[in-house]
Amino acid sequence: MIKERFSSWLLTLRYLSIESFTAALSLCFLLVGAMLVPLGLITGLPFATTAVAMLREWADLARKRTTEFSGRRLSTSYPDITAQSYKGRFELLWSRTTRKDALWLLIHGVPLLAIGFFTIALPFAALNSLLIPLYWEPVSHFTEIANPYPVTSWAAAATMPLVAAVYAALAWWLIPVTGRMFSRSQARLLDIGRATLLAERVTALTASKAAALEAHSSELRRIERDLHDGAQNKLVGVVMMLGMTMRSLETGGSNTLEHLRRAQDAATDALSTLRTMVHDIYPPVLDELGLDGALSAVAVRSACPCTLHISQLQRSPAAIEAAAYFVVAEAVTNTNKYGSATRLDVSLEREIVDNVDCLVLTVEDDGVGGAVERPAGGLAGIRRRVETFEGTMTLTSPRGGPTTIKAVLPCGW
Amino acid sequence: MRVVIAEDDVLLRQGLSLLLESEGFDVVAAVGDGEAFLEEFHNADVGVVDVRMPPSFTNEGLKAAAEARARRPNFPILVLSAYVEDRYAGQLLAAGSVGLGYLLKERVGQVGDFVDALRRVASGGTVMDPEVISQLMTRRRADDPIRSLTPRESEVLALMAAGLDNASIAGRLVVSETAVSKHIGNIFAKLGLSAGDSGHRRVRAVLAYLHS
Repeated sequence: MIKERFSSWLLTLRYLSIESFTAALSLCFLLVGAMLVPLGLITGLPFATTAVAMLREWADLARKRTTEFSGRRLSTSYPDITAQSYKGRFELLWSRTTRKDALWLLIHGVPLLAIGFFTIALPFAALNSLLIPLYWEPVSHFTEIANPYPVTSWAAAATMPLVAAVYAALAWWLIPVTGRMFSRSQARLLDIGRATLLAERVTALTASKAAALEAHSSELRRIERDLHDGAQNKLVGVVMMLGMTMRSLETGGSNTLEHLRRAQDAATDALSTLRTMVHDIYPPVLDELGLDGALSAVAVRSACPCTLHISQLQRSPAAIEAAAYFVVAEAVTNTNKYGSATRLDVSLEREIVDNVDCLVLTVEDDGVGGAVERPAGGLAGIRRRVETFEGTMTLTSPRGGPTTIKAVLPCGW
Repeated sequence: MRVVIAEDDVLLRQGLSLLLESEGFDVVAAVGDGEAFLEEFHNADVGVVDVRMPPSFTNEGLKAAAEARARRPNFPILVLSAYVEDRYAGQLLAAGSVGLGYLLKERVGQVGDFVDALRRVASGGTVMDPEVISQLMTRRRADDPIRSLTPRESEVLALMAAGLDNASIAGRLVVSETAVSKHIGNIFAKLGLSAGDSGHRRVRAVLAYLHS
């Protein structure tokens, strides 16, 4: 029992010692900062970003120490440092997080520094008091010892063990109290706070909701464009050919049959365009088999042997699954069409990219490579589909292969 | 008559060329975007332009048409569109209505009417798709004088907007030419267009429609 309390007391003493010394550094930081800010304001705050970055590092270290000591997790969220202009740098200096960190620096560097050194001095004072009876006499020739009252006689020296006991008792009692006070006050100063955390979560949710709506509307625009410029144009072609047929019947022209044949070709073309388009909007197979099943079907159909690696797949919004399916199906078709590949690897996984939950698709073949994106080609179609959802598509296809298509589709919302 | 065609869909472009050539037009160029159209239109008497073309597939055709008419005032252009947008019609007409047409793409199926429309545009007439007119009708505010037109008068106005003369309107509506003149007189009165040059009034009546 006593042993445990003693070891926890020792740990607290260690924590307080470290805090006291770092507090001294905080004070230096504070003094330098106090000197630099007025100077910086005149010269255009050239060191603002560096200073704020250093302050953040310093505060983060304090968070780590406090978490290590108290076990309490301190969370924070700093906005990115991207200040370019004077105004931007000023706003960075005056931002909520910087002000909060500066307040911590002030409290850490001044009152906590004083309290910390006073507290950790207590055990040493107790030790010193025990030693005074041994050394007071020779030392008194040079200087006067006060602990806390002057020790100028053997009688006074004889009371020193008592003083040591008082110091020890004070140390025994004060160190845990001060330790708690340190960790609590620092936790309070350094933690982001529940209200802010919730507020930030609300902001993030609002942003992701807006992103979802944006993705939805750009998907609608894509469908609208495909319908107008694809199927509808083909139907206009049909109507035009029929009009020419009628015209040629009226005027007794000789190429009526030719016009009719063209009209039929155009109608067949329109139908197949429409079919592809409807299929691309939401492939029915997705509903039946889910994304993994639908992709397995694509892999099985591929002429070139295709292996599928799917990990940690959860259901994503239908539009995302449709896009993922489209990307893979199109890439596999492309490989079968051009690539002299003998092997196709398709992988699909959920990954966090830049703090956003993403579906990452990779299609790799061992073909001859040298693939290029043409304006109306399959690869451009993949890019367009992926970019609808603010995703990215990267194509690496050096001459000689291999060709890799990587698509990242955000689906965190 | 020399025509330049700007349409990005290859099949439609070829079809249009074929159609116009078989109707006796001389297709001097058939191109796929607005830039190419601006390079070619100098050699032609009239342009047929699709609204949506590369690169952005929004209103390149309209921009190209406006640019062509800025370089060569009143260069006749017939704009073809996949759907009716009265905003487009308004933009086109804002800079003058001489030699301008705006038709839905599928009107090319009525070859005779389409060719007539193209000729009217080429000779300085204004041709608006009936859809544009009916869309404008339904959007008018209640106090708009256009709303006070009877259905028959609206029909007549729509046909006027399509660039037809009195005789053709009478033929379309199967009424006498005098009846058409009476309707037109009523339209002018309701729209507050004073007597004067009748041809000019016709254009103004049509414009009253289009400028909301």
